[in-house]
Amino acid sequence: MNTTDTDRLIEDYLRRLDQAAAHLPRARRAELVADIRGHIDTALRQEPAAGEAAVRNVLDRLGRPEDIVEAAQPPTPDADQRAGKLEIAALIALLVPFIGWGVGAVLVVASRVWSRRDKLIGAVLLLLPIVILGLSVVAISGPNGGEESPPPGDTRPVGEKVEEPLDPVPAGLMLLVVGLPSALYLGWRLRPDPATSPTDA
Amino acid sequence: MQPGGARVDLSQLRRGTVEYCVLALLREGERYGFELVRELSDSAGLVTSEGTIYPLLTRLRKDQLVTTTWRESESGPPRRYYRLTESGHAALTAFQQEWSRFRDSVDAILNGRQGDEHHGH
Repeated sequence: MNTTDTDRLIEDYLRRLDQAAAHLPRARRAELVADIRGHIDTALRQEPAAGEAAVRNVLDRLGRPEDIVEAAQPPTPDADQRAGKLEIAALIALLVPFIGWGVGAVLVVASRVWSRRDKLIGAVLLLLPIVILGLSVVAISGPNGGEESPPPGDTRPVGEKVEEPLDPVPAGLMLLVVGLPSALYLGWRLRPDPATSPTDA
Repeated sequence: MQPGGARVDLSQLRRGTVEYCVLALLREGERYGFELVRELSDSAGLVTSEGTIYPLLTRLRKDQLVTTTWRESESGPPRRYYRLTESGHAALTAFQQEWSRFRDSVDAILNGRQGDEHHGH
């Protein structure tokens, strides 16, 4: 009865830890839980009597699982979360139509500097202009070129765009502007926080 | 992003310093995680919960200030040993110099000027 009781205490603790660490990268989370499990094993081996009290003592000394996970975050935003080459590359990529949007999005997701919330807002700010641009292309080319009933003489396949109404210059400009809101927002989020950044040495 | 109060400030200070205590403990040679944790937690006021050392050890490894090796143990499962790297040594030396200046300045102000200001009010 003793063994199962103390085992349950330990498993409960480790489950709490695992849940508290849900937002960490998977490998990091697994390592943390394994480290703590190893610590508990070693600590219990050193206890003279391995009863419930010993287990509770070991767990008490370890502290709250939430505090342990909290310590896994970088200490200050500016120490570990300074903008690096990856972030700069991401911002530049976002301004390049099509391929750049994809590359930029991947780099942003890979970055550790932006929070999950930043990434989400950045994604919305990227997708929204793409959708708007897509819809406006359809709307512009729709009434002029892709009429429901094409003119009798028109042999063009249905749905093909007509170049005329879409002036290539503004269209090209629009493509360049699509990534701008997202890049601007993410760039703005990179600037050092005046409240936390070191002002002197 | 302003810290909430004095307690938070102290925990920030602790967090920033404990990692150098880890590096200092590794100066004489490699140690395994449990050993490091118990040694730190036996020093009063340094570590409030032992578990928080493990994420710190992971960060030190990621920053390449320490390297790790798994070794079999005579009693129980294999242990992960931590060893100081070149840059770990360098970081520790740099910290030691900064720390003594910092400590002296804080002490000087805490023991002297602050008391005067209180009188003035």
